[in-house]
This record gives sequence, C-alpha cells and structure tokens, in this order.
Amino acid sequence: MKLLSHLAERSDTLLRWLLIVLMALLLIDVSWQVLTRFILPKPSSFTEELARFLLIWIGLLGSAHAYRHKMHLGIDVFVRTMSSNKALVVSRFVQLITLAFALAVLVYGGSKLVLLAYHLEQKSAAMQINMGLVYLALPISGALFALFALEQMFAIPQSTEELV
Amino acid sequence: MDSTIIILLVSFVVLLALHTPIAIAIAVATVLTMLATMGVDAALTTVAQRMASGLDSFALLAIPFFILSGYLMGQGGIARRLINFAMVLVGRFSGGLAFVNVIACALFGSISGSAVAATSAIGGFMIPAMNKEGYDKNFNTAVTVTASTTGMLIPPSNILIIYSLASGGVSIAALFMAGYIPGLLVALSLMLVCAVYAKKKNFPKGLKYSFAEGLHHLFAAIPSLALIIIVIGGIIAGYFTPTEAGAIAVIYALVLSLGVYKEIKLEELPDILLKSVQTTAIVMLLIGASASMSWMLSYEFIPQSFTELALSLSENPIMILLLINIMLLVVGTFMDMTPAVLIFTPILMPVMAAMGISPLHFGIMMILNLSIGLCTPPVGSVLFVGCSIGKTRIGEVVKPLLPLYAAMFVCLLLVTLFPQLSEALPRAVGLIE
Amino acid sequence: SGESDTKTLRIAHGLDVNHPVHQAMVYMRERLQVYSGGSMDLLVYPSGQLGSERENLELLQIGSLSMTKVSASSLEAFVPEMKMFSVPYLFSSPEHLWNVLQGDVGMELLEAGKPYYFLGLGYYDAGSRSFYTTEKPVYQPDDLQGMKIRVMNSQSAVNMVNTMGGSATPVSWGELYTALQQGVVDGAENNPPSFYLSKHYEVAKYYLLDEHTSIPDVLVFSTNVWKELTSEQQSWVRQAAADSVTKQRALWKASTELALQEVKKAGVEVVEADKRLFANKTAVLREQYEGTKIGALIQRVLAQDTGLSSDDQNSQGDAQ
Ligand code: NA
Ligand code: NA
Repeated sequence: MKLLSHLAERSDTLLRWLLIVLMALLLIDVSWQVLTRFILPKPSSFTEELARFLLIWIGLLGSAHAYRHKMHLGIDVFVRTMSSNKALVVSRFVQLITLAFALAVLVYGGSKLVLLAYHLEQKSAAMQINMGLVYLALPISGALFALFALEQMFAIPQSTEELV
Repeated sequence: MDSTIIILLVSFVVLLALHTPIAIAIAVATVLTMLATMGVDAALTTVAQRMASGLDSFALLAIPFFILSGYLMGQGGIARRLINFAMVLVGRFSGGLAFVNVIACALFGSISGSAVAATSAIGGFMIPAMNKEGYDKNFNTAVTVTASTTGMLIPPSNILIIYSLASGGVSIAALFMAGYIPGLLVALSLMLVCAVYAKKKNFPKGLKYSFAEGLHHLFAAIPSLALIIIVIGGIIAGYFTPTEAGAIAVIYALVLSLGVYKEIKLEELPDILLKSVQTTAIVMLLIGASASMSWMLSYEFIPQSFTELALSLSENPIMILLLINIMLLVVGTFMDMTPAVLIFTPILMPVMAAMGISPLHFGIMMILNLSIGLCTPPVGSVLFVGCSIGKTRIGEVVKPLLPLYAAMFVCLLLVTLFPQLSEALPRAVGLIE
Repeated sequence: SGESDTKTLRIAHGLDVNHPVHQAMVYMRERLQVYSGGSMDLLVYPSGQLGSERENLELLQIGSLSMTKVSASSLEAFVPEMKMFSVPYLFSSPEHLWNVLQGDVGMELLEAGKPYYFLGLGYYDAGSRSFYTTEKPVYQPDDLQGMKIRVMNSQSAVNMVNTMGGSATPVSWGELYTALQQGVVDGAENNPPSFYLSKHYEVAKYYLLDEHTSIPDVLVFSTNVWKELTSEQQSWVRQAAADSVTKQRALWKASTELALQEVKKAGVEVVEADKRLFANKTAVLREQYEGTKIGALIQRVLAQDTGLSSDDQNSQGDAQ
C-alpha cells in the first residue's frame, strides 16, 4: 500500500508540472495565432489545431489530477445523511465504478482508438500528425485515474468528512 | 426505446445519488444505455471517441483563458481597483457598500468569465469591508453570492460558450450581446432589494470622496475597464474570435498585474496556471462526458421523443417555457450549472425549435434560471465559495437570500415572457435578423 | 428500435433536412424497406448530430455507424487519389465528370477504402464551386488580387485560391455569414445551393460562375457492418443506394436551378466566367502531379473526356 501511495504521489507531482507546461504552451500558441493574424500577412493554420489538441490533453490529464484532489462536482446530499459505515461502503462502490470507467472507457476504448488511428495512419488536417497521438491522452489519463482510484480504495479514511 | 430511457434514467440517478463525480456518472450511464443497441467494443470505443472529440473545438479554448484571466485579475489588483471605482459611483448612499458590492461583482463579471471567480475576488474584499462597517455578515455573503451570478450573463461568459456548443453552434457573439440586458436587470433588481434592506436596517452611508480622490480612482480603474471594451468590442466588431479575446484578456491581465501593478510575482505564476488547469479540467471532463451522452441521446432519438411528449402536454409556448423553468429550478437546486446546461440543452433544443422559440432567448432564460440554482442549497458552488469566504454557514445565509431569490425570480419571469430583453441588443448590432 | 428480426442500419450526414442529400437518404430508406420486404430499416441522422465528417468515418471504423456521406476531399487522408477532385478544371463538363465517376476510375476509388474499413457505394452530386464576393465583382483572376477569400480547411483549396491571386483565409462555415458581413473576408466559394441555403447571398451580391472544382460527395459503408449482412441484404443495400443516387442527382439539379433563380431575385449579380482565364492561371496545379500516381489517374480522366465543348455544356442549368 505504501508503494501505491508513493507511486500516486510521484505521478501526481509529475502530472502537475506537465499540466503547467501544457497550459503555458497553450497560452503562447494562441497568443502567437492572434499576433500572426494581425501582424503577419499569412494566417497560421497549425496554431489553431495545436491549441485544440493541447486542450484535449489538458482536459483529460487535468481531470485525473482533479480526481485525485476530489475536485470533481458531485451530489453529496444523500451520502451526508448516511451512517459512516454505510458511507464507507458507498464510497468504495463509487471508487470501483471510477476504476471500471477508467479501465473500460479510457484505457480500453481509448487504446482501441489509438491503435485504429495508427493502423489507418489517420493524419490531422493541418499539422499532419497521427490522430493516435491526440487520442493517446485517453489511455494515459485512464491509467492515472485507475491509479488514483486504487490509491483511494486502499487508503484508510481519516474522518467521515473524507467519505463524501 | 422505452427500455433504453429506463436504463439511462435509473443508472444515472442512482450513480448521482451515490455521489459519483457527475462526469463519470454521465459516461457510465451512457455506456450502459448504449449496450442495449450495440456491442461492448463499439460502445466503449465510441464513448472514448466522443470524450476526446467533444473537447476538439476552438471555441472551447476561450474557457481556460477566461478562467486564467479571472484568477490573474482577482490576485493582481484589478478587482480592488474596480471596487474603488464602484465606491466612487455609489458609495455615498445609505447602504452604499452593498451597492458597491453588486456593481463590483457585475464589473468583475464583465471582465472575467466565471461566477466563482467573482465571488472569491470581490467577496474576498467586500465581505470583510462590509462586516467592518457594521453590516450583517450573512446579508453581505448573500449579496455577494447572488451578484456574482450576473457575470454568467454579462459577457464574456464561459457558460454561454458552453451553451453555444451544446446547442449546436448558436453564435457566441450574439449570445454575449443577448446577456447584457438580462444581466444588468438582475444587478439592478438586487440593488433594489439592498436599498430596501438598507433603509429597514438603517445601514451606514459609505465613504464620500473628494473630487480629486474620485478622479484618482476613476483613472486607476481605466486600464481595467478598458479590458471590457477591448474584449467585448473586439468580439462584437468581429476583429477576433472569443478564444482570441480570451488570450488577449490573459496577456492584458498579465501585463497589468505583473508589470504595471506589480501585485503578482513571477514565481506565483505556475501556481495560478495550475489552479486554472484544475478548474478547466473539471469543466472539460463534464463536456467530454456530456458529448458522449448527447451523442447517445441522438442515436436513440430521445430528444424527438421528449419533444413529442412536451408538445402533448401543451402547445402554448409560454406554458411550455414555464414548465421548463420549474423543471430547471428543481434541477438547479441539485446540480451545478455546467452539467445542467450540457445535459438539458440537447434534449430541450428540439422542443424550442418546434415551438418557434429562438435559441438565443431560450439560452439566456436557462442560464438565468440555473444562476438561481448556483445560490441555493443543497448544491450550489457559488453559495459554497461565498460561505467559505464570508466565514458563515449555509443555513444562516438562506434567510437574507430569500428576498434576493425573489428578485432574481422576477427577472426570470420577465426574461421568459419578453424575448425582446434578450434579442433587442444582438438585433441592434446586426448579429441576428 | 423495432422488432428484433428487423436489421437496422444507421446513416449520418452533416446537412440540414431540407437538403437534397437528406431527402435522397430518406428515399434510400423507403427503397431499402421495399427491397427487403420490411426486414431492413435505415435510420437517418441529419445535421451532424453524430459528429463531423471525419468523426463519422471513425464511427464507421468503430462499427457504431453503418453509413455516411462525406465529401471526396474528406477521404483524401485514406485514399490520396481523391486529391484529384481538387484539381481545378479537371472535368470539361458534368457529363465528363459522371462518365468518370460511373466508369472504371470512379469504381476503383470506391473500392480503395476497403483497407481502411469502408466501402464506397456511390457518388452524390455536389455541383461545382464558384466565387462570391461582397464589395466588388470578380470577372477574371486578376480581380482576386488582394482579396481575402474564405476556403475550406484544406491545403488544396488554399493552394488554389492563392495560385489564382487571392489570399486564402480558412474560416469555419458556421461563422462565414458574419465574417462576410463584417468584412473579415471579402468573399468565399461554394456551389449554388450552399450559397443560397446559407443566406450568404444576403451579404455577397456578386456570384461569378467560374466553376473551378467539382468535388463529389461519396456514400461510404462500414466494412465491419457490411460483413454482418447476408449477400442478399448487401444487394438490397446496393440497389437502394443506387436508387438514392439517381434521386439525389435530380433533386440536386432542381435545387441548383432554384438557388440561382432565388439569388438573382434577391439582387445578386450572377455572371458567367471566362473559364479559360482561370484554367490557365491554375494549370500549374495540375502539372504538379505529373509523374505521380495521381498524375496517371488524371491522364485516365482526361482520356475519358467526350470532347464536348465546355461552353455548351457548362451552362448553369446542368447538374453542378
Ligand atoms: Na462575464
Ligand atoms: Na443549487
């Protein structure tokens, strides 16, 4: 269990810095696009595509990070009324659902999509990069989601407040 | 068809009640529903594809930028200068600080895209200031919370961008124009409640400034106010897209807070970037998951069935709109605005089309409706943030909130009954026919 | 939906329900029900409900969608030979185009997608694209000098407009009306029905029928779903698709005539172009393919020209 939480902590630190860099890159990219559109004669078509793809990466990887820090919106009014034993069972169940979602949709479905795109050599319109590279954000985010869900499942809750 | 709706409703409601993150509940309920008509492989891969491609939109990029610029403005001294400016305008009246709070929230709302940002930026200054002047702590929190939602309607507004996406491409520029009058209407009616309250409780007059001081604060606020003209003016005039405007707002706020006001240090930037990523990611996971759900709804022709059902209830557009308002008010008490807009827009759009109600009018009505929900327990993100900043509890804020809810509700009725309130401005600047 | 013994197929496209493409697909559904004696159904999803053209192709590959309609230019990523259709003035007349599409070249291109999990079932008419402008009319390539012309987000389209002397600007189709109105671009290019249905004629008062490209639409079927059909079901689908193609061409022709008539009524100046001027200016775009696979295909296309003079055949009434 120590190993699990250690691994989760390390991945999250790495993830945080990656997200900061991606966000900075996104800002630079779109600012560059504004600049080129008003100052240079030829508009750049790859900046727009790069920005869209960066957002997919930031959104999916950032979601895993936000999940670890319990930031996602949810409706806790019913769970709040439960006894702490019941609430623990429910929260384990939800972690299991999250794990299943991460593995089935993000890792499995995402990997199928990545393989399909690689196999078919599906290229993006402007940058001509393989679409598999864009979809790769899905399985990576899924693996992180799964890691963080496992971490929470094996963690001993400190208070009932943590359960909801 | 019937069985698919039952699978969807039951799995979704159970998952939500168990406190599953809403985005994950949406995706899981979608997969379960899809299994009724397709194989496991196709269902999982399709949902994965929708989750990624749902984020593949240039218009959505405005959201992280307005979130980031909101954080920069809150921390970088821009919020305080707007408050000072509002103080010069209305501080001298009895209950002046409450008016200042509303105006500052509306001004902040008109340069940033988010209500939570306005609550923390303006409330962070205004609630303690009002407490010090002897105003009631719970009233101060209630005013901040409701006034912050005007930023949802007053552009730029992230939720209007999300609505534009969910509705299948209603012009963002037209939506931005449409939000002005209803947003200002809400601000005015909240100030009216404040005036009555101030008279009843005999609240003190605020600061009165000398002409020189007033001029000083006005000049100090000009760079911040100029942002409104650059961002909104640029979008309306078609000089740049909302996304480009968002990037410009970030650069402008960076230059102002880092270079001119010097209230943010360079080493604080990574932290601000990370906070923006977190807020962005929460919204993006919801958008991705909702994209898969709305795909599945179309695939199963559920919006069409819903439209038939709605039309069988009544063929009077006003009746339908009132029914929808009641439904959305209930939804809003339990659900945050972003998931509510993402889930209900694709279901309700065909009803609106069948009724001949413009997507502009409907969008503004829905956002105003759900704005009330942001301030109601048991689930209300703005209310939660407001209470934590005002250092009070939800149960205690509800009483001073009641007359403010009433004011917002009256505005909602007006916006529902008079489409002109939403449509006049976009029509005047030629964005709609 | 329906009883379990009904085989349900699903087709999606990005156009409005009033568009000939949608009406032709609804007709395909009727024909399929007739051929199969009610044992097969085809659900039609209009207006891009299930995704963009690229995403719909991906859904075919995943297998959650049976069929879609995409522009031939959307298939370029999988079947590079489709780039041929973006070469300006490749076809001397609509007859030439349809001879090619329904001949060997067209049939080979329909089969060429198989390694990518899709099978072409036929071509829909998407007419010919021409320039329209807001401020001043265009009569010859030189008039495009310094004008910002909206193009599709495709390299071939950008190259073509830039080669003619204009300045290609990619703007999304949905934002084009406002872009034209506010002068973000000075003009755009599209076929008459799109010019009319998008209401761009309200702001662009000059339409030059130079008909630079004729890029057809392609009906594509998922090979994943195709495999699950019996050979009898496959032949019903093929027959229904063929009927739908005939229907669509007739509907398209009528809709082109109506569009030109209506935009003229609305005060648009519709001008026949001297196409030779534009063809000469863009000859380099055809020459760049010499010695390549596409170049060889172009030779086969040119060999199929019946030799009818374009001046007689390319008048506005013909299927464009
Ligand atoms: Na705003
Ligand atoms: Na609420």
